[in-house]
Amino acid sequence: MSTDTATDATSLEDRTALDRLRSSQFLSDLLSNRLALIGLTIIVGMILIAIYARLAYDLGALRSSQLGTVADRLPPGWTGAGAVDQHIFGTDASGRDIYKRTLYGAWIAMKYGTVTVAASTFIGVALGIIAAYYSDLTDNVIMRTMDVLLSFPSLLLALALVAIFGSGLWKVVIALTLVYTPRFARVVRGAALKVLEDEYIEATEALGANDLRVLAKHVFPNTLAPVTVQSTLNYGLAIIDFAALSFLGFGAGPGMPSWGLMLDNGVSNGLLTGKWWMSVFPGLFLAILVLGFNLLGDGMRDALDPRMRETVD
Amino acid sequence: MSRDTVDRRTFLKSAGAATVVATSLAGCSSGDGDSGEDTTEASGDGGDGTETDETTEQDDDGNDLSGTLVYSRGDHPTNYDPQQTTSGEVAKVTNQVFDTLIDFVPGSGGQLTDGLATEWTLEETTATVTLKEGITFHNGEEVTGEDVRATVRRFIDEDYEYFLGNENRSGYSSVTFGDWVESIDVLSEYEVQFNLSQQYAPFVRNLAMFAAAVMSKAQIESVGATPDDQATIGTEPQGTGPFTFEELDNSNERILLSGYSDFWGEGPNVAQVIFKTIGANQTRAQDLINGDTHITDNLDAQSIQQVDGSGSASVVQKNGINVGYMAFNHARMEEFRDPRVKRAITMAVNRSAIVDDIYQGFATEADQPLPPDVLGHNDDLEPYPHDPDQAQSLLEEAGASDLSFELATFSNPRGYNPSPLQTANQIKSDLESIGVSVEINQFSTFSSYIDYTYGGRHDACLLGWYTDNADPDNFLYVLLHPGVDASELSADQQHIAWEDKGNASNVAAWVNKDYVELVDDGQTTYDEGSRRDIYLEASQIAHDDAPWMFIDYAELIRGIHQSVNADTYTVSSVGGPYLELVELN
Amino acid sequence: MASKRFILKRLLLLVPVLFGVATFVFVILHLASGDPARVILGQRAPQSQVVQLRQELGLNDPLYVQYGRFLVDAVQFDFGQSYQIAQGDTVRSVLADKIPVTLELALYGQVIGILLGIPLGVISAVKQDTLTDHVGRVGALSGISIPIYWSGPMLILLFSTTLSIFPASGRLGSTIFLDNSWQLFGMQLPLTGMVTIDTLLLGQFDAWVSAVTHLFLPAVTIGIYSMALISRMMRSSMLEVVRQDYMRTARAKGQGSKITVMKHGFRNALIPVITVIGIQFGGLLGGAVLTETVFGIGGIGTMLVSAINANDYPLVQGTVLTFALLFTLVNLVVDITYSYLDPRIQQ
Repeated sequence: MSTDTATDATSLEDRTALDRLRSSQFLSDLLSNRLALIGLTIIVGMILIAIYARLAYDLGALRSSQLGTVADRLPPGWTGAGAVDQHIFGTDASGRDIYKRTLYGAWIAMKYGTVTVAASTFIGVALGIIAAYYSDLTDNVIMRTMDVLLSFPSLLLALALVAIFGSGLWKVVIALTLVYTPRFARVVRGAALKVLEDEYIEATEALGANDLRVLAKHVFPNTLAPVTVQSTLNYGLAIIDFAALSFLGFGAGPGMPSWGLMLDNGVSNGLLTGKWWMSVFPGLFLAILVLGFNLLGDGMRDALDPRMRETVD
Repeated sequence: MSRDTVDRRTFLKSAGAATVVATSLAGCSSGDGDSGEDTTEASGDGGDGTETDETTEQDDDGNDLSGTLVYSRGDHPTNYDPQQTTSGEVAKVTNQVFDTLIDFVPGSGGQLTDGLATEWTLEETTATVTLKEGITFHNGEEVTGEDVRATVRRFIDEDYEYFLGNENRSGYSSVTFGDWVESIDVLSEYEVQFNLSQQYAPFVRNLAMFAAAVMSKAQIESVGATPDDQATIGTEPQGTGPFTFEELDNSNERILLSGYSDFWGEGPNVAQVIFKTIGANQTRAQDLINGDTHITDNLDAQSIQQVDGSGSASVVQKNGINVGYMAFNHARMEEFRDPRVKRAITMAVNRSAIVDDIYQGFATEADQPLPPDVLGHNDDLEPYPHDPDQAQSLLEEAGASDLSFELATFSNPRGYNPSPLQTANQIKSDLESIGVSVEINQFSTFSSYIDYTYGGRHDACLLGWYTDNADPDNFLYVLLHPGVDASELSADQQHIAWEDKGNASNVAAWVNKDYVELVDDGQTTYDEGSRRDIYLEASQIAHDDAPWMFIDYAELIRGIHQSVNADTYTVSSVGGPYLELVELN
Repeated sequence: MASKRFILKRLLLLVPVLFGVATFVFVILHLASGDPARVILGQRAPQSQVVQLRQELGLNDPLYVQYGRFLVDAVQFDFGQSYQIAQGDTVRSVLADKIPVTLELALYGQVIGILLGIPLGVISAVKQDTLTDHVGRVGALSGISIPIYWSGPMLILLFSTTLSIFPASGRLGSTIFLDNSWQLFGMQLPLTGMVTIDTLLLGQFDAWVSAVTHLFLPAVTIGIYSMALISRMMRSSMLEVVRQDYMRTARAKGQGSKITVMKHGFRNALIPVITVIGIQFGGLLGGAVLTETVFGIGGIGTMLVSAINANDYPLVQGTVLTFALLFTLVNLVVDITYSYLDPRIQQ
């Protein structure tokens, strides 16, 4: 379909980044995609919720048990029959307000998710570019290592790493970073290889530009698009995997208003006795946020240059 | 190979068909149902009348064997050899299949009674046991002294042809027999003599531990002479107990036991017992309430409330023989060698609040290492009062007002401590209010925690202990004796260096020469009156020197369904569960 | 043939990868802290026994010796004995017990995924850009976005707690015990370990019904994710194929109607979907872990979680290695199949 703007080697260096962005076909395709815009809205909405929760609520207060002062397992305020108005999502097994904890959960999800995705993107991009650009041996060593990591199903690899590192939110960040990095490395390597195939790179080199310059000015910017797409899609995955590990008991410590942990508590404390609100709300928020990332990521992938599209997972 | 075991259905059905067992659960007409499933729904599984296989037999005592008892628990071990594990989860089952020479009276708090033995004496370094005659294993063979000898040799004797092997034998191997028994003689068909390496008073009680279950020599010799061969007994255990081990269903995590009609003792009163596994506490509690489980254990506070509030099941409890504590590491922290500091820390923490709020009343406050049911528990002792002011002045007096230390803790609930993290946090905040700062070091797995604490790397740690045999030595020696000779200690010594300590389960590294001498004495004194006096004194010293902050003695909680005849089931703090006595309504 | 070289090359590449996987798994045991002998013997054993066991297990040997031993054993699928979870049992026998449980779940999930995902994807492609398509696409995206540990409990809440149609946990009615083997022409054959199959082999239909009702919700839970992925891939693959030049040529040649184009396209579009099956198999295994936890089924997933919590390293090692191997092999088979089927690659 449409191709990216970097067709003319000389004009590429003349235009500023902003110009390039503004006239980018990628961006215009993306913004005309309604579903992608919905996704973006969801994400921005969640960010605002996360920031609000972080500023308005005190983590210590949210974590501590309210038994004794507040009744536990109260249904949501609007259902009547024994519910208390101020708890619009009800309370959990320790009497804590689910509404506030769910909102704070957005902050936790996005905070740790961002770090994980940023770290794996950064490392993966570095590895991918190095693998693509340098010698066969470097390429092979790096990519075989990535292959080894990729031969484990991702949740299982994360669990195995947790077995070594131990539990805890930051340890999960490290584990998931290791799990996701290979994907980025692969994507970037694929994209970088395609860029390097273009003749103008050889021309630039013939003109005497050194390695780093070539990498920075030509290879890297052109891998930006698929990397961004991969990051966005991976973000949703990070949130799901994070919550999964907390659900299994390896991530968030007890009391933390992490969605995964709240789901675990909701399942063990309320599922069979019909106390649906303990599981429904955290899961709903989580699903919506992940859906947002997937919608946006999908739209981004559709707007990508078809050459690049194949490289994205 | 692995998947299942020899099928030894001696009483029930013919070959080839699956067993669908009718259960006599109250109010349940169409079979067993499942948690959450409405029993009137047609989609129920077996037992809807077409394939009932209700066995009504009578055993030797004329007891009516009918019905199936279902016991739900949270975990499914796969090995039921009493010599290969220290896990209480395994003991629950092996106690139905095997018998020990000496047993505990159900629900008595550790009182001894006959097992397979009719008489026993302990004189100096000789223990003589006389077996009852006419008791048979599940294979029909009579129990003789040779079986006892083979059993013990398999556990501890490397020279025995059928030795279980160092890799397979459990941590109880040395503690139960290995450290004490030098040789065993079979004096006559029904008489066995143990020759001990020293006078050892707890030995009789060791014979009542589940790990001391008597196994069949015939079976031991039939499986083969290598440790791997011997290990297979774990999947087809054969004993003298009230139930035979019918089936080990690992893929569905269940066990089927069958009533042994030739059982020598009282009962069994049900035809079958099924142990099934439901990991989540609430689900298990719900299963009990629905009537698909008759008895369950290890409920947490919420599920206890759930059961209590239901009309169909109830909660029964008994004080357990266990203790929960925070140990001070005397080897690492000099300040902890001063009793004033330890008492101060103890007094600063509101332990009754911990017991009442965090443990929600399912425990009592502790004041000494021995729980109340054990010989030598000193009733004159009281928990240290909660007095932060006095605590503060004591600290100043000792010159340790700016004390700070690390508190190690495990994360997952254990019987003596249902909320370790909350407990640690409570301790931390209580101490902070008198100016002592505490850093909590949390471990996610119990094994790594044991590794850390047994290596002495903690400043202080939360731990606890369940009794093995209800003997005072099991607490006072195992947990607080330094494992060295009293003669090597000086009179004013307060601690021992970790490398010199010879007792791994002592995580306090505390030393008090008088205490050590008393405990050594108690270990070798046979007269119960004298032992009691010795231990009363030792308990006083342990209380005064406060090597631990004593926290709690936890209750044992069980849930039972109304279809169980409540008079026939008692909670036992050691030994048991005595399922052969249980009757269904 | 070119294909044979391709296969050979892929198989050869497998060796260093598997070697790396095995090394990585070995590292798990040794990086993690803790004294294995103490883990095995537990809290109650005296130090002397622990020390003796360490020696017996060869844990005092230099690292390269232990590594060599590990590799030799791993090749024979010997991962040693479980430390705690299944004390006395070999890891191999524990896996043999538990793998069929998880496999059964994954299989039904996969079947649901394929049976529902492919038609849904085709419909979405055929009705591209209509409301049906949009609903289908968002639906599929939701299927990927909704985690198993939410959809599972939601299904339980609805169908089990509220409507009481299906049980909330387990695999089989609690008092149904099955035999160890079944009879065929007078021979005793081993059972598969999968309840829905075994109950049929044993001719116990009531038990079979019990098994099916127990597995229905878990299978659907896993199946949703698989179905979403497959339908998405099916859709985009079909659209891609329809857009291809050679399809236009076919149309130009007069094979005209949309239906013919779609039929032809379908067969070709199916091919990339096969790769998706390979990729999502890994997700399926991970999903099995979560589903088993939610539904209280004792398969490899719950066992892995317990093993990690108990520092039972041989079990963790054996499980992870087996899964990695399984996953790698599935992907290899998928790659090879794809290379056979895709006309473009075969050149």
